[in-house]
Amino acid sequence: MLRRLLLLPPLLLAASVLVFALPRLTGADTVRTVLRARTASAVPDPAAEARVAAEFGLDGSWPEQYLRWLGAAARGDLGYSFVTRTPVAPQLGDALQVSALLAALALVLAAALGIPAGVYAARRPGGWLDRFVTGAGVAGVSVPEFVLAPVLVLLFAVHAGALPAIGWGSPSHVVLPVLTLAVYPAALAGQLVRAETIAVLGSPHVRTARAKGLTPHRVLWWHAARLSTTSVLALSGMFVSGLIGGSVVVEVVFGIPGLGRLLYDAVLAQDLPVVQAGVLAVVAIALVAGVLSEVAQRALDPVPE
Amino acid sequence: MLFPARLRLAAAAAPVLLLLGACSGPTTTGPGDALAVALQFPPRSAYAFDADDGALLMTLGVAETLTAVDADARPAPSLATAWEQTEDPRTWRFTLREGVTFHDGTPLTADAVVTAITYITGVTAPPRAIAGIGLTATAEEAAPEKAPAEEAAPEKAPADRASAGEAVLLTTAQPDPVLPLRMSSGNLGILAPAAYAGGRQPSVIRTATGPYVLTSVNGADSAVLERNPAYWGTKAGAATVTVRYVTDPQSRALALQSGDVQFAEGLPHASAAAVRSAGGEVVSYPAARTVELLLNQSAKPFGDLRVRRAVTAAIDRNVLAAQVLEGAAVPASDLFGPAVPWGAAAAPPAADAAAAKRLLAEAGHGPDNRLRVRLQTFPNRPEMPVLATAIQSMLADAGITVEVTVGDYAAQEPKLLAGDFDMFLNSRGYLSDFADAASVLSSDYTCTGSYNIDHFCSARFDGLVAGLAATGDVEQRQKGFAKAAAMLTEEAVGVMIVHPNNTVGLRGVTGFTPDPLGVRPVLPPLKPAQLAPAG
Repeated sequence: MLRRLLLLPPLLLAASVLVFALPRLTGADTVRTVLRARTASAVPDPAAEARVAAEFGLDGSWPEQYLRWLGAAARGDLGYSFVTRTPVAPQLGDALQVSALLAALALVLAAALGIPAGVYAARRPGGWLDRFVTGAGVAGVSVPEFVLAPVLVLLFAVHAGALPAIGWGSPSHVVLPVLTLAVYPAALAGQLVRAETIAVLGSPHVRTARAKGLTPHRVLWWHAARLSTTSVLALSGMFVSGLIGGSVVVEVVFGIPGLGRLLYDAVLAQDLPVVQAGVLAVVAIALVAGVLSEVAQRALDPVPE
Repeated sequence: MLFPARLRLAAAAAPVLLLLGACSGPTTTGPGDALAVALQFPPRSAYAFDADDGALLMTLGVAETLTAVDADARPAPSLATAWEQTEDPRTWRFTLREGVTFHDGTPLTADAVVTAITYITGVTAPPRAIAGIGLTATAEEAAPEKAPAEEAAPEKAPADRASAGEAVLLTTAQPDPVLPLRMSSGNLGILAPAAYAGGRQPSVIRTATGPYVLTSVNGADSAVLERNPAYWGTKAGAATVTVRYVTDPQSRALALQSGDVQFAEGLPHASAAAVRSAGGEVVSYPAARTVELLLNQSAKPFGDLRVRRAVTAAIDRNVLAAQVLEGAAVPASDLFGPAVPWGAAAAPPAADAAAAKRLLAEAGHGPDNRLRVRLQTFPNRPEMPVLATAIQSMLADAGITVEVTVGDYAAQEPKLLAGDFDMFLNSRGYLSDFADAASVLSSDYTCTGSYNIDHFCSARFDGLVAGLAATGDVEQRQKGFAKAAAMLTEEAVGVMIVHPNNTVGLRGVTGFTPDPLGVRPVLPPLKPAQLAPAG
């Protein structure tokens, strides 16, 4: 555990070098990119380019620019967006809040659906509920978000008229994006929990619990399900970072101002400060979530280290 | 039973949390005298006038400029009612409209205009409409007597018209016959003096003069507009407008179908039938844009006019527009299309593979020496890779082997400008800043043009474009544009492929007026259908 914590700073530093260098290795002229981001049809203008380079500190060498950026980032200053000319940190903070809310709701929904479904399916392997859960699980992990999101919009917004198709600003705007995001982790959690529960139900400690006269319900949930959910917790770090950083499709389709859409727009506009800060944030979240999921996994697993 | 109890709690809490999600921002507009619209392009730079956001503010009906543009692409009155060149030909005198107030209640004055113009001329990268012309602004006190209120033809305005109100003197380094037209550029919107206080980017919240007041902005996500009751002209069609910026085309179409919005820009062609079946209306009109196959004339093989003509003959532009793009564009026979009065109206000739092969043979290419070239394009506009593939197929029929590369535009641009390419499929708006094509002709096709990707260089063409600088008469300028475009076609500088259409969808709203020039307010004429006059 300590080793993993000690690895966090060098991993973040390595990630910072990569996110800084990669856009610059594409061959694009950064200063021209700034101008084109503001005015799509901007034609080359050396005088304006020199002024913009000076304004954004793009007139030094790459190492100089990197060290300047890293030093500022260490002080919490993520620089100014090339496009909006506003500080990156507040933009990132606002977007992270939105994405974190979406991810948290999606995870809660996924756990609420996936874990009970997997546990009950494992109670009678091959039964109708098991077949249904397995089939739904396969469908859930197979349907990509860019298909699922428009289908849900067509069903619930266009045909039923019950929910808005796009936007962000009221509770009803949350429902379809969260449903879309929750389907994959719910399906995966259901399958994992089912497989683990079936294995655990055949283990000696469960047989002992049954022999002691515990009710089947208590055996299933207290002795089997609790163990089987540790595998889901092991993956929860991946889910969290995936949902926060990888909800690009959902946020773009539903027009949600989260981190995914911020990064999508920034990549399209080649807004490097936003891209750099956003990617670093996603990497940091992934690393921290991985450590936290390991902590939770060990807390639930009764097997001593 | 501890664990299942937690799970049950989580299961019960999930839908509640979903419904109580703590979000912020505007909600969807409800029924009545209100509209919700989905626009294609979000503000690029927080509604900055030195970015494309100036044009956006004009589209919204929030900001206004000294002049507007009429249907013939001539300057028309807006915040200025008349203009005239003074005895010093470098100076133009613009008479301001009387009775105009900014959204913050302060009056439009000559000093306010000077503040606005001075700001935009001093930004880091001035907009192309005024870059390099040495523009300065000074206020001139109005004469006490006032002229009749009617608006005369601007360029033929009598000298005493200036007495109608306060006036502004705009001076350029050299005489500029098109300054009134330049002043229609969305980049040159006029805000109240308070907007410029603080020395930072001007605030556009409640500081402009247009039929809509921008009351709140939620980043690049949405904005709210309210009707300006004190507007000097025709009042806006809705009391409030919720503007949503939706970058995904399919999402815009679905939002229109579901009734989330009543107006959507940039509908994908494939969604037109679904929108119509949902009771909506789809309107397509030409855009001032050309998809052009640029041919690098700084090197072989396209330094040879015969090869360029062979490529032109091999490409069937009618097929590309009608079949490949399924009518989402019109075939191009010229740089300028039907969006502008001087654009070519005739359809391009059909492909002539035999002629292409003959020209190639004359240039030394045949079955034994097959011409092999690279074709580059970018994916940001979805039609580009599709067109590139179709062109590859057409050129193959004529005996040209084409290798297609699709990549990020920014990464390709330095090599394009350096002449390190064969063919590049580009999409270019030819009225980027105001309703005049001189700047595009100059930057893209003259020998010293800074965006002359195809490296075309002709003294005859440069002379023609240079002559435009001294041509003030709009009709003569437009003839000059058409002549320049014909010269480019004659020299087979590039192959003008198609002119894409703009497609908008409407549902429960009336009053939309297509604006091919892309220089007029779009939202103010829109009215919720129930408020439209009967019949």
